[in-house]
Amino acid sequence: MNQEASVIIDMRKINKGYMLGTEKVPVLKNVDFQVNKGEFVAILGPSGSGKTTLMNIIGCMDVCDDGEYFLEGQPIHDMQEKELGMIRNQKIGFVFQNYQLISTYDILQNIMMPLVVRGMSTKEAEEKSMPIIEMLGISHRLRHKPSELSGGQKQRASIARALVGQPALLLADEPTGALDTNSGKDVLALFKQLHQLGNTIVMITHDLNVAKSAERIVHIIDGCLE
Amino acid sequence: MKLTEIFRLVWLNLVQNKFKVFLTSTGIIVGTATIMLVIAIGTGGKLEVAEQFKNLNAGSIDISYEYNGSQFSGMGGSAPGGNMGGGMGGLSRENADFMQGGFMGFGGMQEQTNTEQIILSEEDISNLENEISGISDATITYTTKEEAEGGDLEESVSYTIACVKENYINISNLSMAIGEFLTEDNDTYKERTCVLGYSVAKEMFDSVLDAYDASVYIDNRSYVVNGVLSEVGTVASDISPDEAIFIPYETGIKYLTGKNISPTITLVAEDVNLVETIMEQAQEVLAESYGDNVEFTMSDAGSKMEAASQSNETLTLLLMAMAIIVFVVGGIGIMNVLFVSVKERTNEIGILKAIGCDRRDILTEFLLEASCISLVGAILGVLVSLGITPIIEGFSVRVELSAWGGVLSLLFGVLTGTVFGFYPAYKASRLVPVEALNLE
Repeated sequence: MNQEASVIIDMRKINKGYMLGTEKVPVLKNVDFQVNKGEFVAILGPSGSGKTTLMNIIGCMDVCDDGEYFLEGQPIHDMQEKELGMIRNQKIGFVFQNYQLISTYDILQNIMMPLVVRGMSTKEAEEKSMPIIEMLGISHRLRHKPSELSGGQKQRASIARALVGQPALLLADEPTGALDTNSGKDVLALFKQLHQLGNTIVMITHDLNVAKSAERIVHIIDGCLE
Repeated sequence: MKLTEIFRLVWLNLVQNKFKVFLTSTGIIVGTATIMLVIAIGTGGKLEVAEQFKNLNAGSIDISYEYNGSQFSGMGGSAPGGNMGGGMGGLSRENADFMQGGFMGFGGMQEQTNTEQIILSEEDISNLENEISGISDATITYTTKEEAEGGDLEESVSYTIACVKENYINISNLSMAIGEFLTEDNDTYKERTCVLGYSVAKEMFDSVLDAYDASVYIDNRSYVVNGVLSEVGTVASDISPDEAIFIPYETGIKYLTGKNISPTITLVAEDVNLVETIMEQAQEVLAESYGDNVEFTMSDAGSKMEAASQSNETLTLLLMAMAIIVFVVGGIGIMNVLFVSVKERTNEIGILKAIGCDRRDILTEFLLEASCISLVGAILGVLVSLGITPIIEGFSVRVELSAWGGVLSLLFGVLTGTVFGFYPAYKASRLVPVEALNLE
């Protein structure tokens, strides 16, 4: 495998700003960022440093104003909304701070949603989801609604949903932010385990202790990576 | 996403919000029920008109004369055209002349008409038939009210006695249940024979069979029952055949009324298109016989039918307009609730977009939700209309429910919900994932 093929995220001179009244406020400034396949990277920065904006662009939920972004060699910066949706579905697994589970669906329905969106039938999606659900130890909670689960269990369900589609990249935004200490430690241990299994993980956090779980820490301050 | 999976998600959302679905669909329920009933009442109205006119010949023209009384005779009859003449009962001729002259001075007073007593006769029929071409048949009739008894009746009852010619049965499109209609000989020899209307026969003899060849007493004179007419039902003609006793024209004059009668001449045009011309010519022919100062009342069955149909159509249109207003209000209700629903579920939409749902999937899901809510409403609306029907029928309104009316109402209901649900669904599909996810 050559070196170029092992690069998952390749961002070059990414700029992003938001309009504040008539003035454009720069949030990301000439960001260059690369992540290799199988890496576990933490992006560490304080509030307002631009880490969430960077995560949104990495996760294809937002687009940069200029610069180039390649995900597994595909030019994300040139893509339209529909293509970005497909990339999100097939290449990225999201883990959110607030779990972002759909409250009206049960846990199984939430977990297999990415596969259903991909075009699989419920039955197929359920079959494909079961190994991951068992690995994450939530198979006894599948018919429960998210509101009936603890924070740690909800985050496990969220991680299961991120993994079912076997994405190239697991993108976690403050995954322990809403959890108590023990549940937070469990989730970080789980991330380490997933990393050891070969998953590429990018985690965004403002907590240095959480960031230390990653094998590489990138600091972001005032929209610049250091 | 597969359409079946979108349907599954829609179903999940609907079953979890049953009460909301019911409330949202209220407008559609009312709208669908209204449309269904409008169609049913409209159809019922049309059938009612058709049945009421079924014994009327479309080309028939009724001519009658309305006697307004002698101009100052003190009879107090009705006066057309604002003239005081008919209402001057009790005034002396001089005073009345003075009054008339005085009022005439204000203008707008018309010359008094129909002050002369005229009795239409068979001679008029001959004149009309000779002078006007295009008349296929003609008859003369009049009615009176007389006490009659017979059969099982314990005391005499007042019935409409229709004095008619032998061709009345054909002109009125009637048929016999039993026996024969009156003949020319019956009329010529002023025989005391009669034909009973269906209801009269049932009332007097309890059965049509028993009535045949029996005797009834009209004004204390016996009449042999020649036959009984078939049941007709409600009709638009002056004589309700079920409720009348038919006797020969001349017999009526001889035994019941004398010559002081107000008969109606009925002409039948060979072609419906000739009706108007025949009416104009008839007025001229009669004017030759009775003078220009005489106005005959003429009405044709076609105009009556048209007027009845038009009034029925107007009513249907009015109800339809009402139903459309209800639908629009219901549709706006759906749109409103869906907007709130999109707002409530913005986070869900954000999650779906984050995991790869595209705009089309979101649009389809919300649009299907709107359609399903409308379908539920439309089905309930049809059921409501079925429940209301007996109540409406209780008010003597004919309601003709039909399958196509039900299907059309369902379509209207679903279409309204879908059309009004489109904009909220479109707005949902256009949400930006990041913004939708971060909205609390």
